[in-house]
Amino acid sequence: MNALVLRLGFYAAIAAPFVAVALAEHAFLVQVAIGIAVSAILALAWDILSRTGQVSLGHAAFFGMGGYGSALLTPVLGPVLGWTAGLLLCGAVAVLLGAVTLRLRRLYFTIATLSFSLSIQVFILVTPDLTGGSTGIMPPVLAGGSPPHQLLFITGCLVAAAVVSDVFLGARFRPAFFMIRNNPHLAAASGVPVTRLKILAFAVSGMVAGLAGACYAGLYGYVIPDDVFTTNWNVLPLAVTILGGMDTTLGPVVGAVALRLLEEVARHVVGGVGYQVVYGAVIILFIVGMPAGLVGFARGLLRRRKAPARSDGAKARLAS
Amino acid sequence: MTTAAVLQAVILSLTVAALYAAVAAGLTLTVGVTRIINFAHGEFVMLGAFLTYGLHTRWGVSPWLGMAASGVALGLLSALVYRLFLARVLKQDEHNQLLATLGLSILLLNIAVILWSPDPRVMQAPALMPPLRLGAVTVPGNNVAVALVGLLLFLAMLWIKNHTRYGTQMRFASDDPELALHAGINVDRVFELSFVIGGAAAGVSGGLVALVLYVQPSVGVDLVIRAFAIIALGGLGNIPGALMGAAILALVEGLVSTFVPQGGSWGFGVAFLLLLLVLVVRPSGLFGKQVQA
Repeated sequence: MNALVLRLGFYAAIAAPFVAVALAEHAFLVQVAIGIAVSAILALAWDILSRTGQVSLGHAAFFGMGGYGSALLTPVLGPVLGWTAGLLLCGAVAVLLGAVTLRLRRLYFTIATLSFSLSIQVFILVTPDLTGGSTGIMPPVLAGGSPPHQLLFITGCLVAAAVVSDVFLGARFRPAFFMIRNNPHLAAASGVPVTRLKILAFAVSGMVAGLAGACYAGLYGYVIPDDVFTTNWNVLPLAVTILGGMDTTLGPVVGAVALRLLEEVARHVVGGVGYQVVYGAVIILFIVGMPAGLVGFARGLLRRRKAPARSDGAKARLAS
Repeated sequence: MTTAAVLQAVILSLTVAALYAAVAAGLTLTVGVTRIINFAHGEFVMLGAFLTYGLHTRWGVSPWLGMAASGVALGLLSALVYRLFLARVLKQDEHNQLLATLGLSILLLNIAVILWSPDPRVMQAPALMPPLRLGAVTVPGNNVAVALVGLLLFLAMLWIKNHTRYGTQMRFASDDPELALHAGINVDRVFELSFVIGGAAAGVSGGLVALVLYVQPSVGVDLVIRAFAIIALGGLGNIPGALMGAAILALVEGLVSTFVPQGGSWGFGVAFLLLLLVLVVRPSGLFGKQVQA
């Protein structure tokens, strides 16, 4: 019971700042918060998959498919069924991709996911009647086009993604996932259903990424392929998650906030062109100085304060 | 479509393939040895292109000389980047390595944008070589030069890997870094060297880019993505495989772009669809050693 209250408090704490911004109806902050929430959902999706050791550089594919799927199916099936069907489509494609990339190791896996995201555009371009080709589509606008209401809705989606992420960090999946990542052979020998869990992680990750894309596509009621199927959305979840902290639910959210704050500061200091130079610099500094991300770093600090004597044990574990 | 048109497309694609092969050969050498997915390789190529372009436009330096200068400059820059940054990343997890080189790539790309603006430019240089007439097909002089230098660069990578003392050490260090260390090989030094050689190859390839493509900050991104596709096609660390991979990618891309109606922007995607299919059937590329996962 106590644990449940703690969980609910955690979700409330994640949602509170977003809700506060929505209620304040500050036009600029609402847009910033929407951007943060969408990147956080996408990053959570990426993190869920990475816990099984599958480092994807192709999540733009699911992001875009979620956007296109929900946009094209909503007029036919209505909003609830349309979104559900759109996300199920993402899940189904993710299962297929997961199945064909099962045997791929490291670099090959990453390149295969990247290739997948790059080749999806071709599908869009060869089916102009269905998907509008390069001119794009006009999805139904979310929440009647009112940004504060959109933010409230997307915050709900973010909490849902956080719950999903926590399910896969819970006692049922966590040990199996991390065992698969660290040593798939050992996991298989210990009776962990490696194939099934890797594909499950893919399906869930694809659907959550699709959710982020569906939210994004509904913002302005206009989406072109170059908007959603770009390498930007492939790199973003990686950067957000690693800067925030991997293998946590809080990490991607913190990372999304930090990266957006950084972007605003950089735009102000460097100007419109080339402001992303700051991204590059910060990523490099983080990887060298804080490889476990903000949340991992904070945890390390807390742990050190709690048990300074046990630091030798931690070192021994790192060395092994 | 006439035979001559097909032949023209095939031959031009093959000269582009030589450029891809040059970029990929340097990359597969470093990736094959250090196992770091180095996305910044594309930006090294881009910097080489700007250097060659700048030397020619500012001071009228011949692109031949510019290429050589780019090779030296990017080799030195690679050494610096390795010592200051990448050596610290080698021990970290794969995803951190990936983000590290992506960060480096974003940094260099945007420095170029700030210094030189994102606009594309063309190097106004007289063709380096006379055009080549093959029956009904004429290959522009710069494409001949690109094919020639690209192949030479490629052969140089192959020779370094298979016929020099450093090459032997590189192969040893990549197969088993710990055993190599015990055998008295300075693995750190070998890794650094592979980065320097890869960087120098990227610099020279940049000179080739300036000859036949637009010189712009984003040129490296497209090239490095293709180079990774080529490496995956050819098998990681497999230099001859990279040549085949480059030829396949360039041909598919060139033919689709030329002969599919409005296919200009498709070539890229079709090539990657093909790569995905190849990896499904052969998880270590067409020419890679098939190892149990």
